[in-house]
Amino acid sequence: MSTASRSLAPTVTRRAQARLGIVLVLPVMIVTALFFLFPLGNAVYYSLVDFDGLNPNPPFVGLGNFIRMVEDPAVWHALGNNLIWILVGTAAPMVVGLLVAMLLWTVRRGGAIYRVIFFLPYVLPGVAIGIVWGWIYDPVNGLLNQFLRSIGLGAWATGWLGEPDLALYAVLLTAIWAGTGFAIVIFLSALRNVDTELVDAARIDGANSAQRLWFIILPQIMPVFLMVLTLTLVGGFSVFDIIFVMTAGGPANATEVLGTYAYDQAFVLNNIGYGTTLALLITILSVPIAVLLNRLQRRLSLQGTGA
Amino acid sequence: MKTPLRLTALGLASVFAFALAGCTGVAPGGGNDDPDTISFMIGNPEDPADLELTEADMAKFEEETGIHVDLKVIPIENVQTIVQTQLRSGEGPDVFGYDTGPGFAGALAEAGLVFPLTDAYEEFGWPVYEFAKERVTFDGEIVGIPNDIETLGLYYNATVFDDLGIERPESTGDLLDACTTIKDAGIIPIALNDLDGWQGGHYLSVILSSMVGSAGMEEFISGGKSWDSPEVVQALSLLKDFNDAGCFPPSPVAIDYDNGNALFYSGQAAMNLTGSWLVKDTERNVDFEVAYIPFPAPDGPGIFSGGLGAGVFINATSKKTESALKLLDYFMTQEHGAWVIENTQSIPAFPIDTTGIEATPLFTQVLDDAAKIADGTGDFGYNIDVLTSAEFNQAMWDGVQAVLTGQATPEEVAASLEANR
Repeated sequence: MSTASRSLAPTVTRRAQARLGIVLVLPVMIVTALFFLFPLGNAVYYSLVDFDGLNPNPPFVGLGNFIRMVEDPAVWHALGNNLIWILVGTAAPMVVGLLVAMLLWTVRRGGAIYRVIFFLPYVLPGVAIGIVWGWIYDPVNGLLNQFLRSIGLGAWATGWLGEPDLALYAVLLTAIWAGTGFAIVIFLSALRNVDTELVDAARIDGANSAQRLWFIILPQIMPVFLMVLTLTLVGGFSVFDIIFVMTAGGPANATEVLGTYAYDQAFVLNNIGYGTTLALLITILSVPIAVLLNRLQRRLSLQGTGA
Repeated sequence: MKTPLRLTALGLASVFAFALAGCTGVAPGGGNDDPDTISFMIGNPEDPADLELTEADMAKFEEETGIHVDLKVIPIENVQTIVQTQLRSGEGPDVFGYDTGPGFAGALAEAGLVFPLTDAYEEFGWPVYEFAKERVTFDGEIVGIPNDIETLGLYYNATVFDDLGIERPESTGDLLDACTTIKDAGIIPIALNDLDGWQGGHYLSVILSSMVGSAGMEEFISGGKSWDSPEVVQALSLLKDFNDAGCFPPSPVAIDYDNGNALFYSGQAAMNLTGSWLVKDTERNVDFEVAYIPFPAPDGPGIFSGGLGAGVFINATSKKTESALKLLDYFMTQEHGAWVIENTQSIPAFPIDTTGIEATPLFTQVLDDAAKIADGTGDFGYNIDVLTSAEFNQAMWDGVQAVLTGQATPEEVAASLEANR
């Protein structure tokens, strides 16, 4: 409704519209306050006290938990693992997902079956995935080592989750396997809206596959690409369940990330104040990136670029 | 908390067969005001059959007393979090299972969250062994009833030992020789599994206990001796030596507790170091002769590490303490103790007349060993993690993993233990 038409509307109507607006927005406001603002405020409170989970009147420590966090080498170690997770765990599903989606895009028959097959791991519970892959990685009876031995690569058989230098990447591979299906399905949906005439025209003009992908297809699916990127990236900061199930941050903290370290501090060592501070760090790190990518996505959408 | 809760699960599942407990969002009394209904929180036992035993046990209690027990079962790994949160919020179950020791029940007692039971002990005359009573006594107040007595030791496949001509190891040297023979036969010598971390604490407990004896362990626990002393370094070095010698599976820190036990059950491994709570499962799952011995000392057969499993406590805010006390009193009867021994193959922490009780030879041996703990005639070491703080336990679990994976030296780990005392 334009400003002119709004100003011409009777006062009673404007008030009714305002009331209706409030009524419509109220449920969202309540839900936001209840499930976002209140927990956030609570988390900020706990980050300022030394709460052990039992004392009903925990002592106020101000920024003590934040100072401790900065000085804690375990935090930096965990953050480093988070960065590896974010880099590899974001790049791999994006690249593999896009390539597989491109392949499936051209499939004329049985596309639905492929989509189900690739998407299936994504809908499986993380805990179940972690347990099953734990069996696969088992150093004695695991399928992976048995397979390696059966093809004469027994020297490569190892305790994938027990080697400090390998364990993080072994878990990461599981996460990539589980998450790539999501990227494939979303990219595939976006590709259905790509203008194929432009692709054909580029092909006639001599553009090779990589050029068509980079200059013709990718710009058209960029908002969707950014949406998947945002979700995967933020997931990299908050990763917890699959590591917790498969290694619990071990061996000897080799796969510790901020999520598992925060859990250990809060629920194993009863440093709930400090654990909450670590959880806030995850929020502080991931929200700006999410907001940035979201804005970029909206801008591209408004420019008319994308699927 | 991985180790204690895990042990609590095993311990309680095997004692009263009602492991750790929990209920969510329930007001004391099971969410209703019926004085004849109490809530009892338990963590899910490893074996579903144990839960059925617990339910039958509670039904029998109801039949005898007219008090209905609202049994709440939650994942074992969440017990500590749920218990603390619910008790602190003034809610929670009337009765619950929880780990004993200063870092667990002691913390609840310090916060005033558990009902004092000193008067109840006097009134009901519960005959709990003194050493067990001490583990649930904080600042002079008894706050719980200990469940069961447990030992940590080495199960071995006696059939394989006989086949390979190996005698029972009487020293760590013997054990190392046995490892070599077993390994040469294509069998994993000891099914060390340390993915979860807490099992490493058991290894340190048994090695150190056999090395320094109960008096030495007492000094470590009480603070009389430093954790970075040469004995601890030697114990950790021994673990490293065994690992380097191939006594353990490849990458033992990549194997979890269940898979480690499965290696032993299936005959892929010849020995398994764990607790007496696994007697029933072991006998149920193997088709060979099993023996249970202490982990040897460098110069002798060694001693078992012994101690308590978990305990049962009453919520300080429960409005049904009278009914809750009746439940605890039921657990302390001779009949119930005998039922526990026969059905769950666990050892109550009070004297039981075992005449007429049918037990397998292996469990009979465990019973005899436990009796020696109880009457003080045997020399028993300690299971460290039930007596130390959460910070220390974390350092110990991480430290053993670090030794096994070469991330830290025994000296560094010992120093870390002392720093986290």
